[in-house]
Amino acid sequence: MITFMVRRLLLGLFTVWLISMLAFAIIQLPPGDFVDSYIANLAAGGATVSADEANAMRKLYGMGQPIYVQYGKWIVRVIAGDLGESMEWRRPVAEVIGDRIWLTLLLSFAALLVTWSLALPIGIYSAVRQYSLADYVFTLVGFIGIAVPNFLLALIILYTAFRYLGMSVGGLFSAEYALAPWTWDKVKDLAWHLPLPALILALSGTAQLIRIMRANLLDELRKPYVVTARAKGLSEMRTVLKYPVRAALNPFASNIAYLFPYLVSGSIIISIVLGLPTVGPLLVRALIAQDVYLGGAIVLLLGVLTVIGTFISDLVLMWVDPRLRHQLD
Amino acid sequence: MTNRRTFLGYATALAAVPAAEALAQAVQATGSVTQSGLVGKLEGPIPAGGPKPAKFSEAPQLAELVKAGKLPPVEQRIPAEPMVVKPVESTGKYGGTWRRAFIGPSDGENGNRIMASDKLLFWDFTGSKIVPCVAKGYEISADGKVTTLFLRKGMKWSDGHAFTADDFMFWYEDIYLNKDIVPGPIADMSAGGKPGKLVKVDETTVQFVFENPYFLFPSMLAGDTLIGGGQATRQSNGNSYAGYAPAHYLKQFLPKYSSEAEVNAKAKAAGFESWIRMLHVKKDWELNSELPTLGPWKTVTPINTPTWSMERNPFYYAVDTEGNQLPYMDKVVMTLAENIEVVNLKAMAGELDLQERHIDLQKLPVILENRDRGKYDVHLDLAFNGADTTLHVNMDFRGDELIGKLLGTADFRRALSMGIDRDQLNETFWLGLATPGSSAPAESMPESPGPEWRKKWSTLDVAAANKLLDGLGLTKKDSDGYRLRPDNGKRVVIELLAVKAFMDWPKHAEMIAQHWRKIGIYGDVKEAERGLAFGRLLKSDHHIFVWTNGGTELLYLYSSWALPTDIASGAYGIEHAKWYASNGAQGTKPSDPKMVEALELFRSAAAKQEPERNKIAQEIWKIMVDQQFTIGTCGQSPALMGVRMASRRLGNIPGRTCIAQHCRTPGSARPETWFYKA
Repeated sequence: MITFMVRRLLLGLFTVWLISMLAFAIIQLPPGDFVDSYIANLAAGGATVSADEANAMRKLYGMGQPIYVQYGKWIVRVIAGDLGESMEWRRPVAEVIGDRIWLTLLLSFAALLVTWSLALPIGIYSAVRQYSLADYVFTLVGFIGIAVPNFLLALIILYTAFRYLGMSVGGLFSAEYALAPWTWDKVKDLAWHLPLPALILALSGTAQLIRIMRANLLDELRKPYVVTARAKGLSEMRTVLKYPVRAALNPFASNIAYLFPYLVSGSIIISIVLGLPTVGPLLVRALIAQDVYLGGAIVLLLGVLTVIGTFISDLVLMWVDPRLRHQLD
Repeated sequence: MTNRRTFLGYATALAAVPAAEALAQAVQATGSVTQSGLVGKLEGPIPAGGPKPAKFSEAPQLAELVKAGKLPPVEQRIPAEPMVVKPVESTGKYGGTWRRAFIGPSDGENGNRIMASDKLLFWDFTGSKIVPCVAKGYEISADGKVTTLFLRKGMKWSDGHAFTADDFMFWYEDIYLNKDIVPGPIADMSAGGKPGKLVKVDETTVQFVFENPYFLFPSMLAGDTLIGGGQATRQSNGNSYAGYAPAHYLKQFLPKYSSEAEVNAKAKAAGFESWIRMLHVKKDWELNSELPTLGPWKTVTPINTPTWSMERNPFYYAVDTEGNQLPYMDKVVMTLAENIEVVNLKAMAGELDLQERHIDLQKLPVILENRDRGKYDVHLDLAFNGADTTLHVNMDFRGDELIGKLLGTADFRRALSMGIDRDQLNETFWLGLATPGSSAPAESMPESPGPEWRKKWSTLDVAAANKLLDGLGLTKKDSDGYRLRPDNGKRVVIELLAVKAFMDWPKHAEMIAQHWRKIGIYGDVKEAERGLAFGRLLKSDHHIFVWTNGGTELLYLYSSWALPTDIASGAYGIEHAKWYASNGAQGTKPSDPKMVEALELFRSAAAKQEPERNKIAQEIWKIMVDQQFTIGTCGQSPALMGVRMASRRLGNIPGRTCIAQHCRTPGSARPETWFYKA
C-alpha cells in the first residue's frame, strides 16, 4: 500500500514536470510572441509601434532568449512560489488568478451541488423504475441535455431571461456592487446572479451523470447478490441503497480526477458566453495574447490539479471499493 | 465560436423582423440615411472664448472637502484662465456614476478617449477646426519653423501641483531624449528629416522649434498622434510621448535624480524587474491611481482589475459658462465584460448609461426594439473616412511573379474594384446604412477630391471589368469560368487576408470573392488571427489585406491605411515604406511612378500652409482613386463606434458626434459636460 502510494506520487511529480514543459512550449508555438500580438492590438486601436520600440519591449520582457533559457528561469521562479508577472494584465500572475479563483470555486461548487443532487436521485429512480413513465421522461430530457451543446443552452436561457424575465445578464454582480466592499447587499446581489449560471453549468453534467448512474445501477440490480438480498427479505430501500448503489458509485469516484481542474477553471465556453469572471476566460485570453506567464501558470495549475485529483480519486476508489484494495495485497 | 455568433445573429434577426423592416422602410422612404431619424444634427459643446464667469462653483463633495480644509477653494484650484465650455443644451447638475463596459486590459482606449481633454490642442465637434485644449492657444511663425504654445496660468495637475512649462522640458529632456525609455526619435518631432527641439520661453510658454517649415505641426498637436495624443493615451501601454509629463511626480523614478542603483532597488522592492518596468507602470494612468493627470477624471481602481473606475479630478481646468467646474458626473465605473456580446446585452438591458464602443451595428434592429425597455436613445454617428471595409493592395508582392505583376497593374485593380457589388455588401453588413464608393473621404471633408472621385472605378460594372481583364491577356478560362494564368495554366487566385476585428471582415471578403466569380477571378479568403495577420503585413507576403481605412479622412495625421509611409505596417509593401521613411536611404523605391508621385506630394505637404495642404491632399486622393491603390467598398457609416446608446436620464448629449481617429470618439463630444437630469 505504502509503496503503491509512493510510486504514484513520484509518477505524479514527473507528470507535473512534463506538463510544465509542455505548457510553456505550447503557448510559444504559434508564430510571433506577446509583443507581436500586443503591437497588433495597438495597431488595431490606431496606434503604431516602431521596430525599435518593439525590440526594446522584447528586451524588457526577456524575450529573444532561447526558449529553454526562458523556461529554466520561469520554472525556477515557479518552484520558489513566484508565478511571475502577467504581461497583458501587468500585474503578478498570482493576483490576477486570485481575483477570480474564489468566485470560480463558488460557482463550480454550486454547479456541482446541483449536478449531484439532481443526478443521483434521478439516476437511481430511473434504474429502479426502469421503463416507467417518469423514466422515459427523464431519459428524454437527459438525451436532450447531452445532445444540446451547453453553450447553446446558455444562449437560449440568457436570451429568454433577458427578453421575458428582465433579468440581468452577464457577470456575477450588478454594476453598483462590483466595486463595493463585501456587504450583505452584495452577497444578496451575488445570490441573485448565481443560480442561472450554476444551473446552466450543471445541466449538461447532470444529464450525463443520470445516464451513467442509471446504466451502472441496472447492471448491478441484475446481479445474483441483489436477488439473494431480496430473497432474504431485505427491505427494497435497503436492498438498493446499501449494496448496488454503492457499487454503482464507482464512476463518481473516478470522476474526481476531472473535477479538480474543472472546479478551478469553470466551464470555459459557458463562462465566455455568460460573461462570468472565472478563470476560464482568463486562460483563453492569455493564450490569444500569448501571455506566457499567465497562460503557463493556469495550464500548470490545471495540470497539477488533474494529477492530484487522479491521486485522490485512486484513494477514494480503494476506500469505497474493497475489491480494489484487496487486489493490492 | 463561430456557431455561437451565428446563432445570436439568427436569434436577433428573428426577434426583430418588424423593427428591421421599419428601419429599412424609413431609410428607403427618404432615400437617405441621414433622414432615418437616428442621425441627429452634428453638434457639440463649444469651448467659448467669451468672458470668464464672474464666480465659480463646484461639486458638493468637493465643497465639503474644502470646508474640512482638505482642498483649496475652487477659485484657487482652477487656472486663472480656465477653459470655458458651452454645453450642448444647458448647464448641468452635479452627481451620478457613468456606467460603462470595457473588455480587458487591452481596451485602454475605452478610457483614454473620454480623457481626451488632456490633449494640448483638439478638434471642435465638427472634427475640422482646431480649438484650444490644455494649451489656451498657439501661434505658428511666418516661416512655419516655430510653433508656440501658450499655457493656462495657474493650471494644476490632479494632485494640486502646478502645471508649467517645466513639465514640458522634463518630458523632452528626461523622457523623450532618454534612450532607455524612448529608443529613437519619432517622425512627429521632425521636419524635412531634421529632428526638432522643445524650448521653454517662460513659465507658461513653450516652443517647438524645427529647422524646416512645419505648418502641419499644430494639426499634429490636435490630432491623435504620438506628440499630440495627450498623456492618457500616449504615456500608457509602454508609450512615452505626448509632449509633457508630471515632472514633480515622475522624477523619483528616474536614475537622473538619484542613481541607477537607487531606482533599481526601489523597483525591486516594489516587485518590478527594473526601473524602466516600474516607470512604465508609474506613468500609466490606467494602472497607477497616484499619477497626476489633467483629464476630467482620474483612475481609482486600475484597468487590470475587474472594474476600472474613475473619480472626478478636483483640479480639472474647465468650467461651464456659469462657472461650474466640470465634470458634472462624479464617477465613471467600467465593468469588465468577457466578450462583446455581453456588452451589447448589458447596454440593451439599460445597465450601461452611455456606450458606443463595442456596440455592434448588426444588432441595430434589436437595439432599436429595446429602446423603451432599456430606457435609452440610439444615435447613429456617421464616420468621415471613405470605407469601413477597404481592400489594401500589396504593391510589392514578391512571392509570385505573375500575381505581383497583376497587383501592381492599375487596370487589374480597377477591374477588381468594378467587380464588387457594393450595394449588396451595404445591405448585408451595414443594414443599408453605409455609403458605397471609393476609399476617398466624405465630401464634407476639406481633403475630399470631390464627389466624382467617390464613384470613379468604384461602381459595379462587370462588363467593363471583364474587358479590362481581357485586355491584360487573361483571356483563357476554365470550365467554371475562372480566368487562367498565362504562365502555368492554373487559376488566377487572389488571396484576401482578413481578420475578424471591429467588423466581421472575413465574411465581407467571402462575399467579395463571390462577386469576383462574375469577372472570373478566384478570390481566396485567408482568415487569420489579428497578430498573425499583422505579422504577415510586416513581411508584405499578402496579396490584399481587408481592413478599414479609418483615420485617412485627415490624410496627413494618419496615413497608415492609405500610403506606404508607416514602417510599422507593410500593407502596401514594407520596402516601399522603409524607402519613404528613410528618405530613400533604405528599402526600395516603388516601381509605379504614380505611387512615387503620391508619396512625394505627401512629403511636400508638411511644409505647406493649410489651404495648399488640402489641395495637395485632394491631388493625392485623385491619384489614389484613379490608381485604386486601395479599393474602397462601403463607408461613412456608424459601424465603427457610431452606434451610440445613451440613457434617457442623460443631458447634454449631442444628436450626432464626430466619429474619427482624430476626434477621439467620444472625446470631442466632451463627456465632462454630460450629466444626469434625474
